[in-house]
Amino acid sequence: MKKKRIDALNEKAKAIQRLADGEQPSAAALAERRMPQGCTTIFDTGWETNPRPTYPVGNCQASARDFHGCVGDCWWPAQMPDGLTNHREFDVQCPNVARDWRNLKYD
Amino acid sequence: MKPMWTLADHRVFAGGAGTEGALLFGAEQASLYAIDAATGDFLDRWGRHGAFALAEVAPADHEIAAALADAQVLVPSARARRAPRPTIDPATVPLATLVLEAAQACNLRCTYCYAGGGTYGGAARVMSPELAARAARFLVEKSGDLPRVTLVLFGGEPLLNLPALAAAVAAGEAAAAEHGKTLVVSLTTNGTRFTPAALDFLAAHRIGVSVSIDGPPDMHDANRPYGGRAGGGSYADVVAGVARLRERTGRAPAARVTLAPDQWARIPEVFEHVLGKGFLEVGIAPATPVAPALLPTPEQDAALLAGFAHVARRFVDEARRGRVLPFSNLLDLLAKLHVGQVRGVPCGAGLGYVAMDAQGALFLCHRFAGDDGFRIGDLATGIDHAKARACLAAQAAGRADACGTCWARSLCAGGCHHENHLRESVLGLAQGTCCDFIQRWIELGIRTYGELRADPGHPVLAFVGRRAEG
Repeated sequence: MKKKRIDALNEKAKAIQRLADGEQPSAAALAERRMPQGCTTIFDTGWETNPRPTYPVGNCQASARDFHGCVGDCWWPAQMPDGLTNHREFDVQCPNVARDWRNLKYD
Repeated sequence: MKPMWTLADHRVFAGGAGTEGALLFGAEQASLYAIDAATGDFLDRWGRHGAFALAEVAPADHEIAAALADAQVLVPSARARRAPRPTIDPATVPLATLVLEAAQACNLRCTYCYAGGGTYGGAARVMSPELAARAARFLVEKSGDLPRVTLVLFGGEPLLNLPALAAAVAAGEAAAAEHGKTLVVSLTTNGTRFTPAALDFLAAHRIGVSVSIDGPPDMHDANRPYGGRAGGGSYADVVAGVARLRERTGRAPAARVTLAPDQWARIPEVFEHVLGKGFLEVGIAPATPVAPALLPTPEQDAALLAGFAHVARRFVDEARRGRVLPFSNLLDLLAKLHVGQVRGVPCGAGLGYVAMDAQGALFLCHRFAGDDGFRIGDLATGIDHAKARACLAAQAAGRADACGTCWARSLCAGGCHHENHLRESVLGLAQGTCCDFIQRWIELGIRTYGELRADPGHPVLAFVGRRAEG
Protein backbone atom coordinates (compact mmCIF):
# COMPACT_ATOMS: atom_id res chain seq x y z
CA MET A 1 0.00 0.00 0.00
CA LYS A 2 1.24 3.44 -0.88
CA LYS A 3 2.24 5.44 2.15
CA LYS A 4 0.01 8.42 2.81
CA ARG A 5 1.60 11.79 2.45
CA ILE A 6 -0.28 13.24 5.38
CA ASP A 7 -1.33 11.25 8.41
CA ALA A 8 -3.76 12.69 10.93
CA LEU A 9 -2.21 12.33 14.40
CA ASN A 10 -4.43 13.98 16.99
CA GLU A 11 -8.20 13.79 17.44
CA LYS A 12 -8.79 17.20 15.81
CA ALA A 13 -6.82 16.23 12.70
CA LYS A 14 -8.77 12.96 12.48
CA ALA A 15 -12.07 14.83 12.72
CA ILE A 16 -10.99 17.14 9.89
CA GLN A 17 -9.97 14.10 7.86
CA ARG A 18 -13.34 12.43 8.42
CA LEU A 19 -15.01 15.61 7.24
CA ALA A 20 -12.92 15.55 4.09
CA ASP A 21 -13.70 11.88 3.49
CA GLY A 22 -17.40 12.62 3.85
CA GLU A 23 -17.19 15.41 1.32
CA GLN A 24 -15.56 13.32 -1.34
CA PRO A 25 -18.74 12.14 -3.19
CA SER A 26 -20.10 15.64 -3.75
CA ALA A 27 -16.71 16.88 -4.88
CA ALA A 28 -16.57 13.99 -7.36
CA ALA A 29 -20.02 14.86 -8.78
CA LEU A 30 -18.86 18.41 -9.40
CA ALA A 31 -15.83 17.21 -11.25
CA GLU A 32 -17.91 15.46 -13.92
CA ARG A 33 -18.06 17.97 -16.72
CA ARG A 34 -21.08 16.63 -18.60
CA MET A 35 -23.04 19.83 -18.29
CA PRO A 36 -22.20 23.42 -17.44
CA GLN A 37 -22.17 24.01 -13.76
CA GLY A 38 -25.01 26.11 -12.51
CA CYS A 39 -27.09 28.61 -14.35
CA THR A 40 -26.59 32.33 -14.61
CA THR A 41 -24.54 34.29 -12.14
CA ILE A 42 -27.74 35.45 -10.56
CA PHE A 43 -29.61 32.19 -10.35
CA ASP A 44 -26.59 30.00 -9.74
CA THR A 45 -27.66 27.41 -7.27
CA GLY A 46 -24.53 25.38 -7.60
CA TRP A 47 -25.15 21.95 -8.98
CA GLU A 48 -28.86 21.58 -8.35
CA THR A 49 -29.33 21.66 -12.07
CA ASN A 50 -32.10 20.44 -14.32
CA PRO A 51 -31.63 16.69 -14.26
CA ARG A 52 -33.56 16.05 -17.46
CA PRO A 53 -31.83 15.82 -20.82
CA THR A 54 -34.07 18.55 -22.25
CA TYR A 55 -33.74 22.29 -22.53
CA PRO A 56 -32.60 24.26 -20.64
CA VAL A 57 -29.83 21.74 -19.94
CA GLY A 58 -27.92 22.59 -16.81
CA ASN A 59 -30.09 25.43 -15.63
CA CYS A 60 -31.32 25.34 -12.09
CA GLN A 61 -34.51 23.41 -11.60
CA ALA A 62 -36.55 26.48 -10.81
CA SER A 63 -35.53 28.14 -14.04
CA ALA A 64 -36.08 24.94 -15.99
CA ARG A 65 -39.61 24.67 -14.59
CA ASP A 66 -40.33 28.27 -15.51
CA PHE A 67 -38.96 27.65 -18.97
CA HIS A 68 -41.34 24.81 -19.62
CA GLY A 69 -44.18 26.70 -18.03
CA CYS A 70 -43.69 29.74 -20.21
CA VAL A 71 -42.14 28.51 -23.39
CA GLY A 72 -45.48 28.43 -25.21
CA ASP A 73 -45.80 32.19 -24.84
CA CYS A 74 -42.28 32.77 -26.11
CA TRP A 75 -41.48 34.73 -22.99
CA TRP A 76 -38.08 34.28 -21.37
CA PRO A 77 -38.58 34.07 -17.65
CA ALA A 78 -35.03 34.44 -16.44
CA GLN A 79 -34.90 38.14 -17.27
CA MET A 80 -37.59 38.81 -14.72
CA PRO A 81 -35.94 40.31 -11.61
CA ASP A 82 -37.49 39.41 -8.34
CA GLY A 83 -37.00 39.65 -4.63
CA LEU A 84 -34.25 37.08 -4.66
CA THR A 85 -31.94 39.30 -6.62
CA ASN A 86 -29.99 42.25 -5.38
CA HIS A 87 -32.54 44.52 -7.04
CA ARG A 88 -35.21 44.60 -4.42
CA GLU A 89 -36.58 47.87 -5.80
CA PHE A 90 -36.20 47.09 -9.46
CA ASP A 91 -39.57 48.65 -10.18
CA VAL A 92 -38.15 52.08 -9.41
CA GLN A 93 -35.48 51.79 -12.11
CA CYS A 94 -37.53 49.61 -14.34
CA PRO A 95 -41.25 50.33 -14.09
CA ASN A 96 -41.92 48.63 -17.41
CA VAL A 97 -39.78 45.53 -17.98
CA ALA A 98 -40.35 45.38 -21.70
CA ARG A 99 -39.28 49.01 -22.13
CA ASP A 100 -36.82 49.70 -19.31
CA TRP A 101 -34.91 46.42 -18.86
CA ARG A 102 -31.67 48.04 -20.00
CA ASN A 103 -31.69 50.14 -16.84
CA LEU A 104 -31.14 47.10 -14.67
CA LYS A 105 -27.50 46.99 -13.61
CA TYR A 106 -26.65 43.63 -12.13
CA ASP A 107 -23.56 43.50 -9.98
CA MET B 1 -11.19 35.00 -11.92
CA LYS B 2 -9.33 31.86 -10.94
CA PRO B 3 -9.94 30.70 -7.41
CA MET B 4 -6.89 31.50 -5.31
CA TRP B 5 -5.55 29.33 -2.51
CA THR B 6 -3.48 30.15 0.54
CA LEU B 7 -1.64 28.09 3.13
CA ALA B 8 -3.37 28.61 6.46
CA ASP B 9 -1.19 29.49 9.45
CA HIS B 10 0.87 26.43 10.31
CA ARG B 11 4.20 25.28 11.70
CA VAL B 12 6.35 22.38 10.59
CA PHE B 13 8.46 20.69 13.24
CA ALA B 14 11.16 18.15 12.58
CA GLY B 15 10.03 14.75 13.87
CA GLY B 16 11.62 13.40 16.99
CA ALA B 17 14.49 10.95 17.00
CA GLY B 18 13.67 7.76 15.13
CA THR B 19 10.67 9.19 13.25
CA GLU B 20 10.54 9.80 9.52
CA GLY B 21 9.31 13.01 7.99
CA ALA B 22 8.07 15.94 10.01
CA LEU B 23 5.11 17.13 12.05
CA LEU B 24 2.63 19.65 10.70
CA PHE B 25 0.67 21.73 13.22
CA GLY B 26 -2.37 23.64 11.96
CA ALA B 27 -2.37 26.77 14.13
CA GLU B 28 -6.02 27.72 13.81
CA GLN B 29 -7.48 24.33 14.69
CA ALA B 30 -4.65 22.77 16.71
CA SER B 31 -4.61 19.87 14.25
CA LEU B 32 -1.51 17.73 14.12
CA TYR B 33 -0.31 15.63 11.17
CA ALA B 34 2.71 13.57 10.25
CA ILE B 35 3.91 14.58 6.79
CA ASP B 36 6.43 13.13 4.35
CA ALA B 37 9.43 15.02 2.98
CA ALA B 38 7.70 16.00 -0.28
CA THR B 39 4.83 17.60 1.61
CA GLY B 40 7.34 19.45 3.80
CA ASP B 41 9.01 20.80 0.64
CA PHE B 42 5.65 21.86 -0.76
CA LEU B 43 4.79 23.78 2.42
CA ASP B 44 8.19 25.41 2.44
CA ARG B 45 7.93 26.43 -1.22
CA TRP B 46 4.35 27.69 -1.30
CA GLY B 47 4.41 29.12 2.19
CA ARG B 48 6.45 32.02 0.82
CA HIS B 49 3.94 32.80 -1.93
CA GLY B 50 0.87 34.22 -0.31
CA ALA B 51 -2.10 33.43 -2.54
CA PHE B 52 -1.65 31.23 -5.61
CA ALA B 53 -3.81 29.48 -8.20
CA LEU B 54 -3.79 25.69 -8.35
CA ALA B 55 -2.81 25.98 -12.03
CA GLU B 56 0.56 27.27 -10.84
CA VAL B 57 1.20 24.05 -8.91
CA ALA B 58 3.10 21.38 -10.85
CA PRO B 59 0.86 18.37 -11.71
CA ALA B 60 3.16 16.12 -9.69
CA ASP B 61 2.28 18.13 -6.59
CA HIS B 62 -1.50 18.03 -7.07
CA GLU B 63 -1.79 15.01 -4.82
CA ILE B 64 -0.06 16.92 -2.02
CA ALA B 65 -2.23 20.00 -2.60
CA ALA B 66 -5.36 17.84 -2.40
CA ALA B 67 -4.20 16.21 0.81
CA LEU B 68 -3.39 19.59 2.36
CA ALA B 69 -6.79 20.91 1.28
CA ASP B 70 -8.43 17.90 2.96
CA ALA B 71 -6.41 18.73 6.08
CA GLN B 72 -7.67 22.33 5.85
CA VAL B 73 -4.12 23.60 5.79
CA LEU B 74 -4.49 24.69 2.15
CA VAL B 75 -7.62 26.83 2.03
CA PRO B 76 -9.39 29.09 -0.47
CA SER B 77 -7.90 32.56 0.00
CA ALA B 78 -11.32 33.99 0.73
CA ARG B 79 -11.49 31.75 3.80
CA ALA B 80 -7.91 32.28 4.93
CA ARG B 81 -8.74 35.41 6.85
CA ARG B 82 -9.26 34.38 10.44
CA ALA B 83 -12.44 35.39 12.11
CA PRO B 84 -11.72 36.72 15.60
CA ARG B 85 -12.74 34.20 18.23
CA PRO B 86 -15.99 35.24 19.85
CA THR B 87 -15.63 36.40 23.42
CA ILE B 88 -17.41 34.30 26.00
CA ASP B 89 -19.94 36.06 28.21
CA PRO B 90 -19.32 35.10 31.86
CA ALA B 91 -23.05 35.34 32.52
CA THR B 92 -23.67 32.37 30.22
CA VAL B 93 -21.21 30.01 31.92
CA PRO B 94 -22.44 27.94 34.87
CA LEU B 95 -20.27 27.78 37.95
CA ALA B 96 -18.13 24.63 37.83
CA THR B 97 -15.34 25.21 40.35
CA LEU B 98 -15.23 27.23 43.55
CA VAL B 99 -11.96 27.76 45.37
CA LEU B 100 -12.30 28.48 49.08
CA GLU B 101 -9.53 30.48 50.70
CA ALA B 102 -10.55 28.77 53.89
CA ALA B 103 -7.63 30.05 55.94
CA GLN B 104 -5.86 33.22 54.93
CA ALA B 105 -3.05 32.26 57.21
CA CYS B 106 -0.09 29.93 56.94
CA ASN B 107 2.46 28.32 59.22
CA LEU B 108 5.12 28.47 56.50
CA ARG B 109 6.85 31.49 54.99
CA CYS B 110 7.72 30.33 51.47
CA THR B 111 10.16 32.64 49.73
CA TYR B 112 8.13 32.95 46.53
CA CYS B 113 4.63 33.18 48.03
CA TYR B 114 2.26 35.25 45.90
CA ALA B 115 -0.21 35.47 48.78
CA GLY B 116 1.99 37.45 51.16
CA GLY B 117 2.56 34.61 53.61
CA GLY B 118 -0.90 33.19 52.98
CA THR B 119 -2.97 36.20 54.04
CA TYR B 120 -3.28 37.82 50.58
CA GLY B 121 -2.58 41.09 52.38
CA GLY B 122 -3.83 42.22 55.77
CA ALA B 123 -4.02 40.25 58.97
CA ALA B 124 -4.33 36.48 59.14
CA ARG B 125 -7.98 35.39 59.22
CA VAL B 126 -10.05 32.27 58.74
CA MET B 127 -13.38 31.52 57.11
CA SER B 128 -16.30 30.76 59.41
CA PRO B 129 -17.87 27.30 59.03
CA GLU B 130 -21.26 28.93 58.25
CA LEU B 131 -19.79 30.93 55.39
CA ALA B 132 -17.94 27.88 54.07
CA ALA B 133 -21.16 25.86 54.07
CA ARG B 134 -23.07 28.60 52.28
CA ALA B 135 -20.31 28.83 49.67
CA ALA B 136 -20.48 25.11 48.94
CA ARG B 137 -24.28 25.31 48.47
CA PHE B 138 -23.77 28.37 46.24
CA LEU B 139 -21.45 26.31 44.03
CA VAL B 140 -24.01 23.53 43.57
CA GLU B 141 -26.95 25.88 43.07
CA LYS B 142 -25.17 28.06 40.49
CA SER B 143 -23.87 25.11 38.45
CA GLY B 144 -26.77 25.01 35.96
CA ASP B 145 -27.07 21.60 34.35
CA LEU B 146 -23.49 20.52 35.00
CA PRO B 147 -23.46 16.98 36.37
CA ARG B 148 -20.23 17.55 38.30
CA VAL B 149 -18.86 20.44 40.34
CA THR B 150 -15.48 20.89 41.99
CA LEU B 151 -14.82 22.41 45.38
CA VAL B 152 -11.20 23.34 46.00
CA LEU B 153 -10.06 23.70 49.60
CA PHE B 154 -7.30 26.25 49.49
CA GLY B 155 -5.53 28.86 51.57
CA GLY B 156 -3.13 29.99 52.98
CA GLU B 157 -2.92 26.61 54.57
CA PRO B 158 -6.45 25.19 54.53
CA LEU B 159 -5.78 22.53 57.19
CA LEU B 160 -5.37 25.35 59.72
CA ASN B 161 -9.17 25.67 59.51
CA LEU B 162 -10.51 22.12 59.55
CA PRO B 163 -13.95 23.15 60.92
CA ALA B 164 -14.67 25.29 57.84
CA LEU B 165 -13.44 22.55 55.48
CA ALA B 166 -15.67 19.99 57.18
CA ALA B 167 -18.67 22.34 57.05
CA ALA B 168 -18.13 23.10 53.36
CA VAL B 169 -17.78 19.46 52.34
CA ALA B 170 -20.82 18.36 54.39
CA ALA B 171 -23.00 21.13 52.94
CA GLY B 172 -21.65 20.57 49.42
CA GLU B 173 -22.31 16.83 49.57
CA ALA B 174 -25.85 17.39 50.84
CA ALA B 175 -26.62 19.97 48.14
CA ALA B 176 -25.09 17.78 45.43
CA ALA B 177 -27.19 14.81 46.53
CA GLU B 178 -30.30 16.98 46.53
CA HIS B 179 -29.61 18.18 42.97
CA GLY B 180 -28.40 14.82 41.65
CA LYS B 181 -24.87 16.05 41.03
CA THR B 182 -21.42 14.77 41.86
CA LEU B 183 -19.20 16.86 44.12
CA VAL B 184 -15.46 16.52 43.59
CA VAL B 185 -13.32 17.90 46.41
CA SER B 186 -9.63 18.65 46.25
CA LEU B 187 -7.22 20.16 48.73
CA THR B 188 -3.89 21.91 48.28
CA THR B 189 -1.75 21.81 51.40
CA ASN B 190 1.79 22.39 52.57
CA GLY B 191 1.76 18.89 54.06
CA THR B 192 2.71 19.89 57.60
CA ARG B 193 -0.76 19.59 59.16
CA PHE B 194 -1.82 15.98 58.59
CA THR B 195 -3.17 15.58 62.11
CA PRO B 196 -5.24 12.49 62.95
CA ALA B 197 -8.42 14.58 62.64
CA ALA B 198 -7.34 15.96 59.28
CA LEU B 199 -6.49 12.46 58.02
CA ASP B 200 -9.86 11.13 59.17
CA PHE B 201 -11.60 13.93 57.29
CA LEU B 202 -9.59 13.40 54.08
CA ALA B 203 -10.15 9.65 54.17
CA ALA B 204 -13.89 9.90 54.87
CA HIS B 205 -14.60 12.14 51.89
CA ARG B 206 -12.11 10.77 49.35
CA ILE B 207 -10.55 14.17 48.88
CA GLY B 208 -7.85 14.53 46.22
CA VAL B 209 -4.78 15.99 47.86
CA SER B 210 -1.93 18.04 46.37
CA VAL B 211 1.11 18.59 48.56
CA SER B 212 3.71 21.27 47.94
CA ILE B 213 7.23 19.89 48.01
CA ASP B 214 10.20 21.51 46.33
CA GLY B 215 12.73 18.71 45.96
CA PRO B 216 15.59 17.42 48.11
CA PRO B 217 15.91 18.81 51.67
CA ASP B 218 18.35 21.62 50.80
CA MET B 219 16.05 23.06 48.13
CA HIS B 220 12.76 22.46 49.90
CA ASP B 221 13.97 23.92 53.18
CA ALA B 222 15.45 26.96 51.43
CA ASN B 223 12.08 27.64 49.76
CA ARG B 224 9.63 26.53 52.42
CA PRO B 225 10.73 27.41 55.99
CA TYR B 226 8.40 27.62 58.98
CA GLY B 227 7.32 31.07 60.07
CA GLY B 228 7.62 32.44 63.56
CA ARG B 229 10.58 32.35 65.85
CA ALA B 230 11.23 28.63 65.45
CA GLY B 231 11.82 28.88 61.69
CA GLY B 232 13.62 25.94 60.15
CA GLY B 233 12.84 23.82 57.11
CA SER B 234 9.62 21.84 56.68
CA TYR B 235 10.99 18.98 54.53
CA ALA B 236 11.13 16.26 57.18
CA ASP B 237 7.59 16.99 58.39
CA VAL B 238 6.19 17.01 54.86
CA VAL B 239 7.75 13.66 53.93
CA ALA B 240 6.54 12.10 57.18
CA GLY B 241 3.09 13.62 56.68
CA VAL B 242 2.79 12.24 53.16
CA ALA B 243 3.65 8.77 54.45
CA ARG B 244 0.89 9.04 57.07
CA LEU B 245 -1.57 10.31 54.47
CA ARG B 246 -0.87 7.37 52.17
CA GLU B 247 -1.23 4.91 54.99
CA ARG B 248 -4.49 6.37 56.29
CA THR B 249 -6.28 7.09 52.99
CA GLY B 250 -4.70 4.45 50.78
CA ARG B 251 -4.18 7.09 48.13
CA ALA B 252 -1.02 8.89 47.08
CA PRO B 253 -1.18 12.68 46.81
CA ALA B 254 0.02 14.72 43.82
CA ALA B 255 3.18 16.77 44.29
CA ARG B 256 3.28 20.44 43.43
CA VAL B 257 6.85 21.69 43.04
CA THR B 258 7.66 25.39 42.85
CA LEU B 259 11.18 26.44 41.95
CA ALA B 260 12.96 29.78 41.85
CA PRO B 261 14.98 30.59 38.70
CA ASP B 262 18.33 29.75 40.32
CA GLN B 263 16.97 26.23 40.99
CA TRP B 264 15.78 25.47 37.46
CA ALA B 265 19.05 23.83 36.46
CA ARG B 266 18.25 21.04 38.95
CA ILE B 267 14.81 20.11 37.57
CA PRO B 268 15.68 16.50 36.57
CA GLU B 269 17.10 15.82 40.04
CA VAL B 270 14.08 17.41 41.73
CA PHE B 271 11.66 15.39 39.65
CA GLU B 272 13.33 12.07 40.43
CA HIS B 273 13.63 12.89 44.11
CA VAL B 274 10.00 13.86 44.55
CA LEU B 275 8.73 10.92 42.50
CA GLY B 276 10.74 8.65 44.79
CA LYS B 277 8.80 9.94 47.80
CA GLY B 278 5.65 8.13 46.71
CA PHE B 279 3.60 10.78 44.92
CA LEU B 280 0.96 9.94 42.34
CA GLU B 281 2.16 12.67 39.99
CA VAL B 282 4.71 15.45 40.01
CA GLY B 283 4.01 18.90 38.56
CA ILE B 284 6.70 21.56 38.46
CA ALA B 285 5.90 25.27 38.37
CA PRO B 286 8.39 28.07 37.89
CA ALA B 287 7.86 30.54 40.74
CA THR B 288 5.67 33.47 39.79
CA PRO B 289 7.74 36.68 39.73
CA VAL B 290 6.17 38.35 42.75
CA ALA B 291 9.36 40.39 43.02
CA PRO B 292 11.92 41.44 40.41
CA ALA B 293 14.43 39.03 42.01
CA LEU B 294 12.28 36.12 40.77
CA LEU B 295 12.46 37.25 37.13
CA PRO B 296 14.67 34.78 35.26
CA THR B 297 17.62 35.59 33.06
CA PRO B 298 17.58 34.17 29.51
CA GLU B 299 20.05 31.51 30.69
CA GLN B 300 17.70 30.50 33.49
CA ASP B 301 14.78 30.33 31.06
CA ALA B 302 16.89 28.04 28.89
CA ALA B 303 17.68 25.87 31.91
CA LEU B 304 13.95 25.58 32.71
CA LEU B 305 13.18 24.36 29.22
CA ALA B 306 16.20 22.04 29.20
CA GLY B 307 15.03 20.58 32.51
CA PHE B 308 11.52 19.98 31.18
CA ALA B 309 12.99 18.51 27.97
CA HIS B 310 15.08 16.12 30.04
CA VAL B 311 12.02 14.86 31.92
CA ALA B 312 10.09 14.66 28.63
CA ARG B 313 12.89 12.45 27.25
CA ARG B 314 12.48 10.22 30.30
CA PHE B 315 8.74 10.18 29.64
CA VAL B 316 9.27 8.84 26.11
CA ASP B 317 11.78 6.24 27.34
CA GLU B 318 9.30 5.02 29.95
CA ALA B 319 6.50 5.03 27.39
CA ARG B 320 8.55 2.68 25.20
CA ARG B 321 8.36 0.23 28.07
CA GLY B 322 4.62 0.78 28.32
CA ARG B 323 4.81 2.88 31.47
CA VAL B 324 3.48 6.35 32.17
CA LEU B 325 5.99 8.68 33.83
CA PRO B 326 3.70 10.86 35.97
CA PHE B 327 5.00 14.29 34.97
CA SER B 328 1.83 16.41 35.33
CA ASN B 329 2.98 19.32 33.16
CA LEU B 330 3.63 17.07 30.19
CA LEU B 331 0.56 14.87 30.71
CA ASP B 332 -1.68 17.96 30.71
CA LEU B 333 -0.04 19.35 27.58
CA LEU B 334 -0.24 15.99 25.78
CA ALA B 335 -3.92 15.71 26.69
CA LYS B 336 -4.61 19.12 25.13
CA LEU B 337 -2.62 18.21 22.04
CA HIS B 338 -4.34 14.83 21.78
CA VAL B 339 -7.74 16.48 21.58
CA GLY B 340 -6.56 19.46 19.53
CA GLN B 341 -8.27 21.73 21.99
CA VAL B 342 -8.87 25.25 20.72
CA ARG B 343 -9.25 27.82 23.46
CA GLY B 344 -10.72 31.26 23.17
CA VAL B 345 -9.55 32.09 26.68
CA PRO B 346 -6.44 30.92 28.52
CA CYS B 347 -8.25 29.50 31.55
CA GLY B 348 -11.58 29.30 33.26
CA ALA B 349 -11.01 32.25 35.61
CA GLY B 350 -14.28 34.15 35.91
CA LEU B 351 -15.82 31.67 33.45
CA GLY B 352 -17.09 28.92 35.68
CA TYR B 353 -14.04 29.14 37.93
CA VAL B 354 -14.27 31.55 40.87
CA ALA B 355 -12.45 31.95 44.20
CA MET B 356 -13.92 33.13 47.50
CA ASP B 357 -11.89 34.69 50.30
CA ALA B 358 -12.38 34.21 54.05
CA GLN B 359 -14.95 37.04 54.21
CA GLY B 360 -17.06 35.86 51.28
CA ALA B 361 -15.75 38.16 48.55
CA LEU B 362 -15.48 36.54 45.11
CA PHE B 363 -12.46 36.93 42.86
CA LEU B 364 -11.54 36.12 39.27
CA CYS B 365 -9.31 33.31 40.51
CA HIS B 366 -7.63 32.19 43.73
CA ARG B 367 -4.48 34.12 42.97
CA PHE B 368 -6.29 37.44 42.81
CA ALA B 369 -7.88 37.15 46.26
CA GLY B 370 -7.51 40.42 48.13
CA ASP B 371 -7.03 42.50 44.97
CA ASP B 372 -10.10 44.72 44.58
CA GLY B 373 -9.34 45.23 40.90
CA PHE B 374 -10.24 41.57 40.37
CA ARG B 375 -13.10 41.30 42.85
CA ILE B 376 -16.20 40.01 41.06
CA GLY B 377 -18.97 40.21 43.63
CA ASP B 378 -19.54 38.38 46.89
CA LEU B 379 -21.47 35.43 48.22
CA ALA B 380 -24.44 37.53 49.36
CA THR B 381 -25.08 39.24 46.00
CA GLY B 382 -23.62 36.59 43.70
CA ILE B 383 -21.13 36.83 40.85
CA ASP B 384 -20.84 40.30 39.29
CA HIS B 385 -20.74 39.19 35.66
CA ALA B 386 -20.24 42.71 34.33
CA LYS B 387 -17.13 43.10 36.47
CA ALA B 388 -15.85 39.66 35.44
CA ARG B 389 -16.39 40.66 31.80
CA ALA B 390 -14.47 43.90 32.36
CA CYS B 391 -11.59 42.11 34.11
CA LEU B 392 -11.26 39.56 31.32
CA ALA B 393 -11.47 42.27 28.64
CA ALA B 394 -8.73 44.25 30.41
CA GLN B 395 -6.53 41.16 30.55
CA ALA B 396 -7.05 40.47 26.84
CA ALA B 397 -6.56 44.12 25.82
CA GLY B 398 -3.53 44.78 23.65
CA ARG B 399 -2.88 41.08 23.15
CA ALA B 400 -5.06 40.54 20.07
CA ASP B 401 -2.39 41.41 17.49
CA ALA B 402 0.44 39.38 19.01
CA CYS B 403 -1.81 36.41 19.80
CA GLY B 404 -3.54 36.64 16.42
CA THR B 405 -0.30 35.88 14.59
CA CYS B 406 1.14 33.40 17.11
CA TRP B 407 1.11 29.77 16.03
CA ALA B 408 0.52 28.63 19.62
CA ARG B 409 -2.63 30.74 20.12
CA SER B 410 -5.11 27.86 19.98
CA LEU B 411 -3.49 26.11 22.93
CA CYS B 412 -2.30 29.11 24.96
CA ALA B 413 -4.82 31.90 24.30
CA GLY B 414 -2.80 34.49 26.17
CA GLY B 415 -1.32 32.80 29.23
CA CYS B 416 -2.00 33.14 32.94
CA HIS B 417 -3.92 36.31 33.89
CA HIS B 418 -2.12 36.58 37.23
CA GLU B 419 1.33 36.06 35.77
CA ASN B 420 0.59 38.65 33.06
CA HIS B 421 -0.81 41.07 35.62
CA LEU B 422 2.27 40.80 37.82
CA ARG B 423 4.72 41.15 34.98
CA GLU B 424 2.95 43.95 33.17
CA SER B 425 1.04 45.98 35.75
CA VAL B 426 3.23 45.44 38.82
CA LEU B 427 6.73 44.96 37.43
CA GLY B 428 6.14 47.16 34.37
CA LEU B 429 7.41 44.68 31.77
CA ALA B 430 6.21 44.70 28.18
CA GLN B 431 3.52 42.22 27.15
CA GLY B 432 4.66 38.83 25.98
CA THR B 433 7.64 38.13 28.23
CA CYS B 434 6.37 34.56 28.76
CA CYS B 435 5.61 33.89 25.11
CA ASP B 436 8.97 32.49 24.08
CA PHE B 437 8.92 29.93 26.87
CA ILE B 438 5.30 28.94 26.22
CA GLN B 439 5.96 28.45 22.51
CA ARG B 440 9.03 26.31 23.16
CA TRP B 441 7.19 24.26 25.75
CA ILE B 442 4.27 23.59 23.39
CA GLU B 443 6.74 22.69 20.64
CA LEU B 444 8.36 20.22 23.02
CA GLY B 445 4.93 18.73 23.68
CA ILE B 446 4.21 18.43 19.94
CA ARG B 447 7.50 16.61 19.33
CA THR B 448 6.86 14.29 22.25
CA TYR B 449 3.34 13.55 21.03
CA GLY B 450 4.73 12.87 17.55
CA GLU B 451 7.14 10.31 19.00
CA LEU B 452 4.35 8.53 20.88
CA ARG B 453 2.13 8.55 17.79
CA ALA B 454 4.78 6.67 15.84
CA ASP B 455 3.04 3.67 17.43
CA PRO B 456 -0.71 4.41 17.11
CA GLY B 457 -1.69 1.60 19.47
CA HIS B 458 0.51 2.93 22.24
CA PRO B 459 -0.97 2.30 25.72
CA VAL B 460 0.39 5.64 26.97
CA LEU B 461 -1.68 7.38 24.28
CA ALA B 462 -4.77 5.67 25.60
CA PHE B 463 -3.86 6.98 29.06
CA VAL B 464 -3.45 10.50 27.67
CA GLY B 465 -6.80 10.19 25.91
CA ARG B 466 -8.54 9.25 29.15
CA ARG B 467 -6.88 12.19 30.88
CA ALA B 468 -8.19 14.50 28.15
CA GLU B 469 -11.70 13.29 28.90
CA GLY B 470 -11.20 14.30 32.52
